[in-house]
Amino acid sequence: MSNSNSLGDYPPVTKKESSTNTLHEYIFKDFKLILVIGLLSLILVATSLTPFTMVHAQQPKQVTLTAIVAEPKERWDSLFADALTKLRERHPDMKIDIDYRVLPYADTRKQILTAMAGRTPIDLISIDQIWLGEFAEGKFLSDLSNLTQSWNRSSEWFKTNWDGGIYNGKVYGIWAWTDVRAMWYWKDLLNQSGVSPDSLRTWNGYIEAAKKLENSTKDKGIQAMHLVGASHSPDMWYPYLWMLGGEIVKQKSGHPQKGTYWFPAYNSTEGVQALQFLSDQVKAGIKPQINHFWGKEFADKKFAVMLEGSWLLGHFPRNESKNFDKSVGMIPMFPVPKEGDTSATMMGGWMLGIPVTSTNKALSWELLTIMIQPDVLAPMLANYAYLPTQKPIAEGTYSTQLNATIPYYKELISMLSIGHSRPSIAEYPQIADNIRQAIDEVYLGVKEPKQALDDAAKKSAEVLGWS
Amino acid sequence: MKLTLEARAGSLQPYLLLVPALSILIGFLLFPLMWNIYISMHNVSLTTILGEWKYVGFKNFSNLLRDPDFHMSLQVSLLFVGGSVALQFFVGMVLAVVLNQQIWGSNAFRALFIIPWTVSAVITGFSFKFIFSDSFGVLNYGLEQMGLNPVAWLSDPGVVVWTLVIANMWHGAPFTVIFLTAGLFSINPVVYEAARIDGATKIKSFFYITLPLLKPFIIINLILITMWSVNFFDLILVMTNGGPLFASTTSSLYMYRQAFEFGLLSKGAAAGFLLIGMNLVLAYSYIRLFRRQERTVEIRQM
Repeated sequence: MSNSNSLGDYPPVTKKESSTNTLHEYIFKDFKLILVIGLLSLILVATSLTPFTMVHAQQPKQVTLTAIVAEPKERWDSLFADALTKLRERHPDMKIDIDYRVLPYADTRKQILTAMAGRTPIDLISIDQIWLGEFAEGKFLSDLSNLTQSWNRSSEWFKTNWDGGIYNGKVYGIWAWTDVRAMWYWKDLLNQSGVSPDSLRTWNGYIEAAKKLENSTKDKGIQAMHLVGASHSPDMWYPYLWMLGGEIVKQKSGHPQKGTYWFPAYNSTEGVQALQFLSDQVKAGIKPQINHFWGKEFADKKFAVMLEGSWLLGHFPRNESKNFDKSVGMIPMFPVPKEGDTSATMMGGWMLGIPVTSTNKALSWELLTIMIQPDVLAPMLANYAYLPTQKPIAEGTYSTQLNATIPYYKELISMLSIGHSRPSIAEYPQIADNIRQAIDEVYLGVKEPKQALDDAAKKSAEVLGWS
Repeated sequence: MKLTLEARAGSLQPYLLLVPALSILIGFLLFPLMWNIYISMHNVSLTTILGEWKYVGFKNFSNLLRDPDFHMSLQVSLLFVGGSVALQFFVGMVLAVVLNQQIWGSNAFRALFIIPWTVSAVITGFSFKFIFSDSFGVLNYGLEQMGLNPVAWLSDPGVVVWTLVIANMWHGAPFTVIFLTAGLFSINPVVYEAARIDGATKIKSFFYITLPLLKPFIIINLILITMWSVNFFDLILVMTNGGPLFASTTSSLYMYRQAFEFGLLSKGAAAGFLLIGMNLVLAYSYIRLFRRQERTVEIRQM
């Protein structure tokens, strides 16, 4: 049987018929074709675009400002909507839109940091006061010092709130609104237990009231006092530290690299005393709550007494605000060691800042200033029970509106004078975590307050570069 | 013999066809790994990421190995992974074997048991967080109704890890069910028939036929669920955020917190690299263990 496919049946391959020449021919042919198609496409695209670009040049310039802000969403919806209307009126030659993302608190910080590290253009961000140092240190924020000088409204801010937006002498954020933490209680539950609200004002009175309330309310599935055991427990401990004259960190000389820098001061005598009060609460039967629902648990009447932020009011139906003070009482203070002592509270809220990656800095600044104009901001504050950081709203004509819509508004405003803020330094998240660990150790009875705070301060000192 | 262009092109062709897959491998696996090692050997934090990165060698690794919180996280990981793997495997195996018995509704039950695996870990975490809540959880409510004392499922350092293991078992056991079911389907029923004729009971058939024939599936299943449990942190983040007192902070959560909560990217990268090492060691140990057992069996049969 012959193999018709053997190599001998094929004529020998000549130079002319070599595979190299064949390949070159194909490539050359293909190249010509590709070149012709490419030129034709270019001509077509150019001619089709030309009338389009001519028409496009006549239309208003499209600008979309981007923002990352922290929830809840509704407050930003109203604020951006009102501010955008005014911004558009000022720039009829531009078509301005805002694309804003509303994220949960923790995700806001991470998303901003990720965006900054990746140099993603963002025009506006909401900044928690404790993030300012970290963001400024990482050179993520635009220096607004010159802009605020020409804006000339800084004197209208309360000093603490204006200073809160300054880092290393430069303005990086404008504190738009604030909140304070106060003591809220259900009047009927205290009445039924025979507990006088005034007894809650002192440490001893608070503990005794807790025991009385617990006996009376436990059968109803209601706990007496709320004690924060969640990850932000330090925020509810700081007021006790401050009212005793203590500090979280203080400046100290002799730092190995920076000369003078922050050093942990919270393990002072005042700190130990403040933490002892939390320990006493646990020993009195008050259970630290690892889940925190930001006042919803009080609105749902799961607790008779709760130290909570002024945002608690947002959990109650708006149509019940007129009769709110008939059922819920508010004492504008944290319990103090003894009668007559000055209380303290922690101020929170949100700042607005412009990242360095913004491609529309001038317009972003303009939007920011509109958002914090009293006529734009005050209605939002009234709707969501936030407190102003600027005098025209707190003391001017707008205060009447706020007073009429926010229950206990005057009392909440009065707390601004005893309000303190946390340090806005880059290492604050780690320091807060060290303090949280100390609080947890005391809650669980693992360590005494002094030991827990000393151990935490040692870690904080390392974090701050002292070893 | 000098190759022609065509022949050269032909010999290169298989490698050229591999280029897309290799690009993905290099781009999404090798490059991030190398980049991770690079970051771990420099001093990089969120506040210095846009500035100059100082080379520090192995300092981040030595700091990590000296960190008591990292040691704690390794202990917690050991408990969490050990408990999760054991429970997921045991429960998954039992369900797979029971459902393979051709009982009424076995297909429907199989579909039902897969549902937990389709639910995201975050949703699972939130659901179990409310079930196990000390004050408002349905579990403690049920215990109180039965006259028992409530348990501090999420706030007792001694209990919290086992609470997470239960949640992880619920979430991950369906994978074992699916995997081992596939293995059980591959076993020829004639083998069981022969064993039955020889007088083997169901239990003996399980231990002397089912388990040995399922061994390749078991090895792969154990490797996968171990690695997933080592890397798993979203459920823990949602349920306890690593608390109380780091009692539920596993190594993966520790790495996440260092990098993304404290902004210590180098330390997080170093922790991540050590985690990869842990996974490789565990996977290698499984394979070596089972191969040693197989060789022992072969030697016995000789």
